[in-house]
Amino acid sequence: MAQEMKNTSIASTGENIALSKDLFVRYKDEKDLHDQAFETKPVSYLADCFKRFAKNKASIVAAVIIFLITMYAIIVPLASPRTKVDKVTYPNGYMDNNFSYVLPYNSIFKGTGFWDGTKIETKSENDYQTMLYGDSNHSRFVKLLSTTETRIGPSVVKAYKIRVDTYAIGNKNVKLSPDKFNTLVAYEKDHSIYRAEKSIMKPLVDVESYLTKYRAEIVADGVVSSTADGIIDFMRTYYNQNSNVYFALSAKTSNGSYSQNRFSPILDSSGKPVDIYKRDSGNNLIYEELVSGEYNVRVDYFDYATYRDGFKPYFFFGTNDSGQDIFLRLAKGTQFSLLLGIGISAINFIIGLIWGAMSGYYGGTTDLIMERITDIIANIPSIIILSICSIQFTNNIALKAALGESGIIVLAFLVAFVYSGWVGVASTTRMQFYRFKGQEYVLASRTLGAKDGRLIFKHILPNAIGTLVTSSVLMIPGVIFSESSLSYLGIVNFSTSGLSSIGSLLNEGQAAGLQYYPHVLLFPCIIISLLMISFNLFGNGLRDAFNTSLKGSED
Amino acid sequence: MKTKKEQAETQSPSNSETTPETDASAVAAKKPNPVASFFSKIHSSLKNSSKETKQTLAYIGQRLILMLITFVAIFFICFILIRLLPVNADSGMKDPEIFYLNMVAQGRMEKVVDAAGKITYRNIPVFQQLWTFLGNLFTPGNPAPWGYSYKIEWLSSPADVLFKRLPPTVLINIYSMIVSIPLGILLGIYMALKKNKWQDHALSVLVMLFISVPSFVYAFLLQYLFSYVWQVLPAVRADASAGWFSPIMFRSMILPVLSMCFGSIAGFARYTRAELTEVLTSDFMLLARTKGLTRAQATVRHAFRNSLVPIFPMILGEIISVLSGSLIIENIFTVNGVGALFLESIQKRDYDVFQFVAMFYILIGLVGTLVVDVSYGLVDPRIRMGSEK
Repeated sequence: MAQEMKNTSIASTGENIALSKDLFVRYKDEKDLHDQAFETKPVSYLADCFKRFAKNKASIVAAVIIFLITMYAIIVPLASPRTKVDKVTYPNGYMDNNFSYVLPYNSIFKGTGFWDGTKIETKSENDYQTMLYGDSNHSRFVKLLSTTETRIGPSVVKAYKIRVDTYAIGNKNVKLSPDKFNTLVAYEKDHSIYRAEKSIMKPLVDVESYLTKYRAEIVADGVVSSTADGIIDFMRTYYNQNSNVYFALSAKTSNGSYSQNRFSPILDSSGKPVDIYKRDSGNNLIYEELVSGEYNVRVDYFDYATYRDGFKPYFFFGTNDSGQDIFLRLAKGTQFSLLLGIGISAINFIIGLIWGAMSGYYGGTTDLIMERITDIIANIPSIIILSICSIQFTNNIALKAALGESGIIVLAFLVAFVYSGWVGVASTTRMQFYRFKGQEYVLASRTLGAKDGRLIFKHILPNAIGTLVTSSVLMIPGVIFSESSLSYLGIVNFSTSGLSSIGSLLNEGQAAGLQYYPHVLLFPCIIISLLMISFNLFGNGLRDAFNTSLKGSED
Repeated sequence: MKTKKEQAETQSPSNSETTPETDASAVAAKKPNPVASFFSKIHSSLKNSSKETKQTLAYIGQRLILMLITFVAIFFICFILIRLLPVNADSGMKDPEIFYLNMVAQGRMEKVVDAAGKITYRNIPVFQQLWTFLGNLFTPGNPAPWGYSYKIEWLSSPADVLFKRLPPTVLINIYSMIVSIPLGILLGIYMALKKNKWQDHALSVLVMLFISVPSFVYAFLLQYLFSYVWQVLPAVRADASAGWFSPIMFRSMILPVLSMCFGSIAGFARYTRAELTEVLTSDFMLLARTKGLTRAQATVRHAFRNSLVPIFPMILGEIISVLSGSLIIENIFTVNGVGALFLESIQKRDYDVFQFVAMFYILIGLVGTLVVDVSYGLVDPRIRMGSEK
């Protein structure tokens, strides 16, 4: 500083002036001047990125949601009691046709009409009457909401809008081996419900003898015998379909004529339905019949299923067509989709990195040829490759034997998505290499004799890795979305493989019919929407966090 | 209309060289349409520098040749892959005998009579098939170089099958474009003008939601609510017998169009917002304000027109993709367009149709990319196409 001052004074005046030392005062009373040491701690690149990421609240929420969905996909298939059912009864995993399309049930909402397994149905007078009586332990009838009367000609037709419990599927006839029958009897005796009011086994119903009796009755009333046969046939079907009905039915309508297919219960003088239970000679109720080594029993199916499986057959997300638990299947499907997404993204990342690095680093003719190949590959849509693979693999018997149904599906997806999926990563990597390869530090290293491999992996790649990692995180939702769309469209057939993905569940939901069973479609839709939103937010958060140029811009 | 004409002129510069310059400026003067005058400026700038025009033409030519090479390569790959697929003539085919006769006539199979007199048909090697196919394709008067549809429509050519399915797809896409482009751009402008205010934040959240949530989710939601719960709109596309422009048809297309719109609107809004916010902070905007222009004047005359430059190619890309349609939306609302045809050809294994539709998709994809790339340079004079550095 002193030197500088001296020079300027010389320059301004243009002559030599002798300056004495006392003219100058020391700036600080120290012997040696040093740079000040940093008072703060140095922040590493990753720590800085993490700090910026943590500031982005939406990304944090998204990360939490992704974590929760992942936990759901991992824990539910492990912990659900339905995965532990024995393989003999359920060779294809838990399913019970009797509980087909029951609605989602959550005990918290019991009785509210929302998420409690109930739905609103409109019933005719006859069906309403029949529904009111039943010897099941659970009544399908929950609440009468409204009654409407419409006048059709001279008669008034009543329609009842009622809330019904979809889980109260009533009684069913089942066949049990003697062993199983004895265990059931022992169980009932243990719980002192054997032949009591809340018993699992209900008295058998003697449909045939009632039908014979009733036919004679209506023929006597003047019905032509062919019409009577028709009525009896319909009634038999009705009894077979509704094992809940234990009472005598009448086909007589209010105006005295006989209906072909509408039946109402016959009530006795006290207003109770007349039962048609099977009775022995001592007028005792019969509960079981031994036919060719198997017991025919009539059970309250809900309680029977509870006894059989050891847990109540309530389904958090409802069930599908074949009575499989959607909650469990969705967890497995999400697991498959997530694994597929992450696995394919990882493979694509590696292939794209190598391809892009070569193309970007060497440039020139190498780059031109590689770019043309990429161009061709990128322009064949993966849906075409997937369709071709799917048809080719399912017809290849040797491959099917080696990999199995599920292996073929995974292979088809792998080929279709890896085939062109890496192109995006490759072009990002190529751009990054073009950006960094001409910089001075690379030149310096090259001058010192570094080989190509060292330059690529030690010098250029670490600088580009932030951008590349974030772009590959954003690839995961892309793969999940493509997979679910393609399996939704049925290009890959999941049905016989035992596998499920979010897309195959969507496909199932559409087959079930949005109009009748929206719950089958609802939950896969929610999960995939949540996954898409949170992966996008998370990826954007990561991208911003790794972008050093944004540092301090939002403070 | 005017703008399209202008644009067509700029795209064929050989034509524009013969047009007097006054013509273009007269159009701009008559009608002070900002976009039209914008194009006329490019027009004249193209004409003024014939070197640039040549460069542009050379670039376009080069891209066209590259595209053709890519297309041919893709075609060979797809041809071989599809011809390698197993043929099952017995399922769902009207007359397998005619099928085999055609296959032999087109050089795809050969008849083999074994010692017991039993007739079987054997595939000819694929490369030989490719050679025969190319021969057939360039032989004038060949009735069906692309083969026949055997399962979807017995013995009609794949091209006919495809063109029959085009109208619903094109209509739905055009309706969706008409709704989504203006709405999306307007929304984007509004968001950019209200940047970092609550309106912008609220709309940004919505835009993010609509971009992330897969379109089939809101297609299901719309179908469930409007068709099944409230029962105000039909769930499936109306029968074509009523005519493509009948009110019934229009009503039945509302839901598929809406479900396609949401994502598209959100996309345009996000893009416009990003572009406009960038332009609004640039130096020439400051200059415009210092010159004494009001904020509205500066925004409309300077910022908006500049921000449109990258959006315009996006719109062009959208126009070309009108032909391809959306597989999922067509599936949900049973639109029965090109997407449905593609799926049907896979499910029924009607390979000739599958090949034709697949090549159609690939061609549209290639042309779309080319047009977008080329139009970037055409609308923005700052971008020198095909320049070295």
